[in-house]
Amino acid sequence: MKTLLKIEWLKVKNYTAFKVISIFFGVGIFATNYIFYYFKKNVIDKADPTGFLSAGSPFAFPKVWLTVSYYSGCILILPVLLLLMLVTNEFTYRTSRQNIIDGLSRKQFIDVKLMSGAILALASTVLVFITALVFGFIVGGDFSFAGIENLGYFFLKAITYNFVAILISVLVRRTGFAIAIFFIYTAIENGLSLFLFGWAIGIKEDHKIDMGNMGNYLPMNASDGLLYSPFATLTKMAGSKLPADYTSLVLTLALVYLALFFLWTKNNFIKRDL
Amino acid sequence: MAILTVENVSKNYGKINALKSVSFSVPKGCVFGILGPNGSGKTTLLGIIMNVLKASSGNFNLFDEAATDEHRKKIGTLLETPNFYHYLSAVRNLKISAAIKGHGEDDIDNVLHTVDLYKRKDSPFSTFSLGMKQRLAIGAALLGNPDVLVFDEPTNGLDPVGIAEIRTLIKHLSAKGKTIIMASHLLDEVEKVCTHVAILKQGNLLASGTVKEVFEENDIVQIAAADRQKLRTALEGLNNYTRLDEVAGQVELSYKSGTADLEAINQFCFNNGIVLSHLQLKKSNFESKFLALTN
Repeated sequence: MKTLLKIEWLKVKNYTAFKVISIFFGVGIFATNYIFYYFKKNVIDKADPTGFLSAGSPFAFPKVWLTVSYYSGCILILPVLLLLMLVTNEFTYRTSRQNIIDGLSRKQFIDVKLMSGAILALASTVLVFITALVFGFIVGGDFSFAGIENLGYFFLKAITYNFVAILISVLVRRTGFAIAIFFIYTAIENGLSLFLFGWAIGIKEDHKIDMGNMGNYLPMNASDGLLYSPFATLTKMAGSKLPADYTSLVLTLALVYLALFFLWTKNNFIKRDL
Repeated sequence: MAILTVENVSKNYGKINALKSVSFSVPKGCVFGILGPNGSGKTTLLGIIMNVLKASSGNFNLFDEAATDEHRKKIGTLLETPNFYHYLSAVRNLKISAAIKGHGEDDIDNVLHTVDLYKRKDSPFSTFSLGMKQRLAIGAALLGNPDVLVFDEPTNGLDPVGIAEIRTLIKHLSAKGKTIIMASHLLDEVEKVCTHVAILKQGNLLASGTVKEVFEENDIVQIAAADRQKLRTALEGLNNYTRLDEVAGQVELSYKSGTADLEAINQFCFNNGIVLSHLQLKKSNFESKFLALTN
């Protein structure tokens, strides 16, 4: 795997899009969180001086682990775009063929792509960890690792997004088409998720059956659904009207979906003509 | 030793049979031409051997063993189009090829000199002309000095000078004892550089063997008479011809070169009560043989 990763590095290290997206991503994670931090400090705190809505600063330890993990999710689209380009490039340039011709096995070729997706997700998580530390120390609070599992959820979300990007790239093989499908799919799934959420509320209201937030049972929303908004007070206000959060069910589903994306990608690449 | 043995390989794309149970063998040290018109299945066949396409049935061996990824590392291949990372320079692209093949980077400069791209080694692939791209692909195939080379239409996109250079290079490689498998739709190319040939048409293998065997010069005797059916029936009684065809109302008998005896044929027909209206001897050449095989 080390040799394979070295070969991947040769492919990306001089790729302009890789450099640009990496810089944007690094800066972006910090900037995104700063925007929310700024908004909280200068808008919400002024409108809500008692701190009723946020129940203390979301950027103070230990809540910062959740807050930064939650907001950083917004720019996971950047590694997704990078992977969509890198993997579809292999088909556009027909280097997917040439790499196999030169002696890579199909399994090696697709394994290292999936590994790159995992490494990008890990790197994103490390960045989130550092960003959370920075904000945590700026804002204060008692340092603690309580809620650090949110970083794990962030990793799960990032790797799910990345694997979906690789899957779509392998299935459709054309850059523009793959990017379009990714956006269309996430839009459809989010719409459906919202609908199912509403439906779950209805079922609870009318039949007293708590199905949980069914919107979180969908492939990409499962990993999204593990991270809750730091402004949980708002949802608490809706109180008993909302369906319960079956975290372990959603976590299990997220892992099952991830495994399915992994297997589908591998199986497709190994069996199809290139 | 056989470098490549293909056994009953077939490939279907839906209802289309791109290859129909093709079998042949490539001996070590030869220049093996896979000849056929566009769409005859040449690239499909090489794609299967290189594991980028999956055969619908049949199998093949490389170096007398069941083919593995390691075997491909020992073969330099240019399949169909030059495939490189457009944004990377020639040298960086070759570094990737070398890394995949498990070679060092020592012979990259050498190879770039061989294909005359050394001066452009740091230019991005996307700035190359068609001919330069093709030369880089040939260069990539030469990396690591492999004993077996597979070239699919190697002179595609090259100008006449480039074509001549590549043909000289192939002959030069062959003289060094390398085995070369080359697909081409150019009869002339195969005739000039190959020692062995397999002829494909619409997925069927029409002939394979040494160029001499396949394209051996033949005597063709064209014969006509008023009653063609009777003529044909009678001629089927002759026994030393190699092939009997009916072409444009005439019967054509093929004989090994120098063995057709017009007088004997005439006598034979006369004895069978047939008076000939036409009797002519033709020599087949490379091209007519190819056309005869493929039509």
